[in-house]
Amino acid sequence: MADPGRKSSLAAWVWVLVAVVAIFELIAHPVIRAGVPNGDSWEGATAFVRERFEPTDRVVAAPRWVDPIVRSYLGDLLSPRSASVSDLAGVRRVWEVGIRGATSRSEPPALEESFGGVRVRMWPVLTDEVLFDFVEKIDRAEVDVLTKEGPRLCPWTRAKVEGGGLGHGPLPPPERFVCDPARPWLWVGATVMADLDLEPRRCVWQHPAGREPVRATFRDVPLGDQLVVQGGLDYNNERSVGDIPVRLRVFIGDRLAGEMRHQDRDGWTRLEIDTARLDGTTHEVRIETTAARPHARTFCWSASTRHAQGEP
Amino acid sequence: MTVRKLALSDQLLGAVLCVGYVMVLVWTAPDLAMSRDESFYAHAAKDYGAWVAEFLRDPGSALSREHIDRAWGYNWEHPAWMKLTFAWSWLAHQKLGIFSSESLAFRFPGMLAAGLLLWLIYAWGAVTMGRRGALFAALAFALLPRVFYHSHLAAFDVPIAFLITLTGYAYWRTLSDRGWALFAGLAFGLALATKHNSWMLPGIFLVHYLWVRRQYALANRLDRPTLSWLPSMLVLGPIVLIATWPWVWHDTWSRLLAYAQFHVRHVHYTYEYLGLSYFEPPFPMSVPFVMILFTVPLTTAILAIIGLVYRRAALAPPWRTQRGDATDTKADVLWVGCMLAPLLAIALPSSPIFGGTKHWITAYPFLALFAGWGFVAVIDRATGELWTERRWPTWALAALCLTPGLVQTAHSHPFGLSHYTPIAGGVPGAADLGMNRQFWGFTTGSLADWLTESLPDGGSVWTCDTTWGAWRMMQADGRLPDNIRPARSMAQADFVLVHHEPHFNEVDFQAWMAFDDVQPVHVLSYDGVPIISVYAGQTEAAGR
Repeated sequence: MADPGRKSSLAAWVWVLVAVVAIFELIAHPVIRAGVPNGDSWEGATAFVRERFEPTDRVVAAPRWVDPIVRSYLGDLLSPRSASVSDLAGVRRVWEVGIRGATSRSEPPALEESFGGVRVRMWPVLTDEVLFDFVEKIDRAEVDVLTKEGPRLCPWTRAKVEGGGLGHGPLPPPERFVCDPARPWLWVGATVMADLDLEPRRCVWQHPAGREPVRATFRDVPLGDQLVVQGGLDYNNERSVGDIPVRLRVFIGDRLAGEMRHQDRDGWTRLEIDTARLDGTTHEVRIETTAARPHARTFCWSASTRHAQGEP
Repeated sequence: MTVRKLALSDQLLGAVLCVGYVMVLVWTAPDLAMSRDESFYAHAAKDYGAWVAEFLRDPGSALSREHIDRAWGYNWEHPAWMKLTFAWSWLAHQKLGIFSSESLAFRFPGMLAAGLLLWLIYAWGAVTMGRRGALFAALAFALLPRVFYHSHLAAFDVPIAFLITLTGYAYWRTLSDRGWALFAGLAFGLALATKHNSWMLPGIFLVHYLWVRRQYALANRLDRPTLSWLPSMLVLGPIVLIATWPWVWHDTWSRLLAYAQFHVRHVHYTYEYLGLSYFEPPFPMSVPFVMILFTVPLTTAILAIIGLVYRRAALAPPWRTQRGDATDTKADVLWVGCMLAPLLAIALPSSPIFGGTKHWITAYPFLALFAGWGFVAVIDRATGELWTERRWPTWALAALCLTPGLVQTAHSHPFGLSHYTPIAGGVPGAADLGMNRQFWGFTTGSLADWLTESLPDGGSVWTCDTTWGAWRMMQADGRLPDNIRPARSMAQADFVLVHHEPHFNEVDFQAWMAFDDVQPVHVLSYDGVPIISVYAGQTEAAGR
């Protein structure tokens, strides 16, 4: 080694910095890997949730990127509907299965358990009561296209589901209203669509046919104090600025109750219609979509009648 | 800088690096299914190979416009050189059966380019900074996780990194020995014939040349560097490009223009960066720099910075040169130019959105060379002042500095594009930060055994981002049985694969609709981060 009597410069000790960085990397690598929860942790956490799960509960993953793993354990308790709702309406408790200290809610939970690196938390929530979910009742609707010659009915059809792939938009359900077989996009039915934020949205696909309205009419809808409509375009088309706006109009009976004008990049938007005056009554509700030009107007909406109670 | 002459032992060491790296690549390649782009290039190589065979049989017919267009029209957006080498390798495999699998036949030329690049890094390093730094630089480059992944592929990224470095070396040698000019022109031609990254080379060289020339003039040196590289590159470059690319033998100008326009007006890829999915410009300028921080082992990156600081005197601008100063052909300035140019090109807000580190992979040989200088700087000081007359501390430090790269590279395989270094928090940390998870669909290879076990009587799989060409290559390689076929439609498949990237969420939701089920039957994960979800169709789900 060096002559002990010789004074060494600071620069000579840079090797220590480099060695420390290398050692940091060598230690950090196994530490990071050791922090990954194993199968037993996931099994324990999800079994805990499964034992206590009720149909009005919702399960969320934290952070969001771990959602496929949570669904691989608890997906049988979920459905395309419950995995892709627009808000918490109708939910009584939120279960969160999380790792790495991530959380989806800021308030302290009512229950918390840890299983290795997987943490389960639960919050009771006071949310709007859903009286009628239009998306889940779409099979009871009457769908038509109002042409110059009068309404042309769209029959409820069972058809083969084809396709899938990037940029293809939402997959149609096997049963749907088919308005024009020559225009394969002109159908009405419940699907799951990726919105502008790439979030799943359970919604009714109701692609406008042009200026002639596509209409979904629901009879005997129980009304509460609110009718909440949310809608947007498939993310591919939502991203393209400058296309024609979509107009969604909601009629209660024959009266126009609310209207949404959706522009590209608006994202998943919300329309709240005050129905307090009609609370406790049943009415016909009609939802119409139009666009001056139908090209790429891949519009999808969800709606429900509610009693407002807490967070939506 | 004193320019060393390469000894035979240097070339032997370079050859050992080359052969050793190629052997490791060949050994580890079966773990990697073909990527999306590789499957296109393999398809093109088969077309081109058939044309080459026809040319040898009946040149008159092969040279007709109809035959050229039919054979070379596929994948016209990239020049032909590397695809020709893939074709030759594949033809040799067809005749002689020299490779263990068909995919390896296509990939071998790319692997060879990676091995030769190590040799070249060593050689250029050895003539400028000596053996220790050169060896460190070559190994540091070999142990970059993303480079290791790309080095396996039948693609253009590592070959263009090799050819740009080779052209740079030949140009630099030409400055003091015009005998290298012909070689510089040929190397540039092959670079042009490989990928469009090469377009920036004349600009970099011109800036460097003027820098060196000015310095020589101010120093009043009479042996000024020669400009002979320029006519050589301007003449030989296009000749090699066109000679190796029959597609442009007809309608030459319009097809070359279409090629240039394809890349200048390239579509924007969707790329996740720090929690946002970018699909249109401007892409943040920080992308290449943050990605380097998150994907290059930190020790290597720090050593590269130390190397840059250590060589700051050599990087001094020409106007600071005094009459009579010793000056040279400034390899360091050239390296900085070759390192920064691709990073800045990607960082420009007007550039098309790419994102993948492969798009600036040509910077990495020079980053590694500066890491070599950094290592030299550290051990020179320490050897001079702390551990004089002992060699083992130097070797121990080299081993310590290279081990993080070795560990991370080993762990990155076969998920190379999903790997992030500890400074990003590793793979899960990068997922928290919202960094790109993967692209090209090659991770399906990691599911091959699971699919084979799950479908003992065969079946169908909807393959998501994995092309059918890549799927068939797994079958040709014996990794998947022939009776597991790719499905055209999700709802009719036994299994649906979803490669996790945010913009593939759409496909995830389609799978939910196809089977009215949100529960994957299997999630392929890497360090706990989902890479692929597998959904089972009604028949498969019922059987479980």
